[in-house]
Amino acid sequence: MSLFLLSRRQGLHTLAVLAVGFAPAFAIALAGAASAATLDEIKKRGYMIVATEDDYKPFEFIQDGKPAGLDADLLAALRKKVSFEIKQEIIPWTGLLAGVSTGKYDVALTAALITKERVQSLDFTMPIADATHYYVKRKGDDSIKEIKDLNGKVLGIQAGSGLLQRLPELETILAKTGGKIGKVVEYTSYPEAYQDLALSRTDFVINTVINLQSLVNEKPNVFALGQAVSGPSYPAWAVKKGNGELLALLNDFMADERKTGALAELQKKWFGKSFDNLPVNFTPEF
Amino acid sequence: MNAAGFASLLQGAALTVMLSLIGIVAGVPLGLALALVRWARIPLLSQVVAVYVSVLRATPLVTLALLIFFALPNIGIPVDPIPAAILTLSLNTAAFNCEIWRAALTDFAKPQIEAAKAAGMTPGLAFRRIVFPQIWRTSLPALVNEMTLLIKGSPAIAVLGAVDITRAAVRIGSETYEPLPPFIAATIIYFAIILVFVRAQRTIESYMTRRFGFA
Repeated sequence: MSLFLLSRRQGLHTLAVLAVGFAPAFAIALAGAASAATLDEIKKRGYMIVATEDDYKPFEFIQDGKPAGLDADLLAALRKKVSFEIKQEIIPWTGLLAGVSTGKYDVALTAALITKERVQSLDFTMPIADATHYYVKRKGDDSIKEIKDLNGKVLGIQAGSGLLQRLPELETILAKTGGKIGKVVEYTSYPEAYQDLALSRTDFVINTVINLQSLVNEKPNVFALGQAVSGPSYPAWAVKKGNGELLALLNDFMADERKTGALAELQKKWFGKSFDNLPVNFTPEF
Repeated sequence: MNAAGFASLLQGAALTVMLSLIGIVAGVPLGLALALVRWARIPLLSQVVAVYVSVLRATPLVTLALLIFFALPNIGIPVDPIPAAILTLSLNTAAFNCEIWRAALTDFAKPQIEAAKAAGMTPGLAFRRIVFPQIWRTSLPALVNEMTLLIKGSPAIAVLGAVDITRAAVRIGSETYEPLPPFIAATIIYFAIILVFVRAQRTIESYMTRRFGFA
């Protein structure tokens, strides 16, 4: 494992980070060339392609070889509501949003945080959960008790993530007590970030409260949940910008899931609690 | 990690082996073809091959995979993850194989070719009867080495959504938050696959030694 991590950190990881930077640039460069299918086109060809992740527990993960999590259950419900077939592509985060904005996939059916940068090229549905950012630390690490203790500590976070874009918020909080953010290590996905935290290569990891609660519930002897390091933050599904009819269809579905209480049930099942006051429209500040 | 997890690792292994084998079967002859173009100094084509090899050798597999997967549909060629993965591995290994073959060709003893010519052999016949039977034996260790590198580089294609050994291990680790067991299992599987290739090379070499007195 450590060998693997080493090679990833030194070789593959650098490449992956390069690729992460590369993919959106490519997406923007070629955005005009291909376009995601409109609702009419989807109905005509008879299927829609959605992209989901495989390592973002509890939203999306693979359990005994099958997709599981909140989004997997929502997708199953969506399949029953629509008249066309839904094809699911399970891909790593790295190429996911780029794939939607280039038209390779019609919907990013994943917990994508709504950010200022992303709304330039994507349209988001109404949020599926509250995902305020928290930090997690090693259990028993007494040098971190509250947010101001994060001053100068090594942070692990996902590359190309909405969480990374909101670090200025933590910077502002730390600046009030004269502190600042230490070294930031970027990972292609969270499992590696958690592993490096456990191995003391980093001091804390920032992710949404839902993901971290799931982690801490599963590994209470290794990790301990800290405090909120951001204002409100919401994850939602995304379609290519301007794909209005498809967005309306997904929003109708989501509104229905909220009204009937189905979404709240699923949130309880996967997060242990429901979020009842989610906004319909969210304009990100970051 | 449970039995279902282990089964998913083996499925990943099947995909890794399949994609790598296709890459090797396509990439080794393609590399030879490219090397012959350069060896024969065919005008223009030779320069094109030189540029191709330089570019491909400088492009990381992940980048190449994303490039093929996202760029081809934009020029009107729809491509699915598995064909894109095969294309990525074949094009990459062909560039490295080209250099292996080219080194063998460049080192090949000129007097033998002159003798073949003097005996009235056409260039094609001389290549088949004189050159190729010798260069493939000298290139074998380097080619097998490149094959093992390709297998170990193949996790890069996971970025397209293909679930190889490493991706299967990542999935198990992210579900259980226990990455160690799946990665140890994955390492053992890679070791077993590489061992088969290295054994095959040894077997061929020792057969050659027995049959011809040299490898």
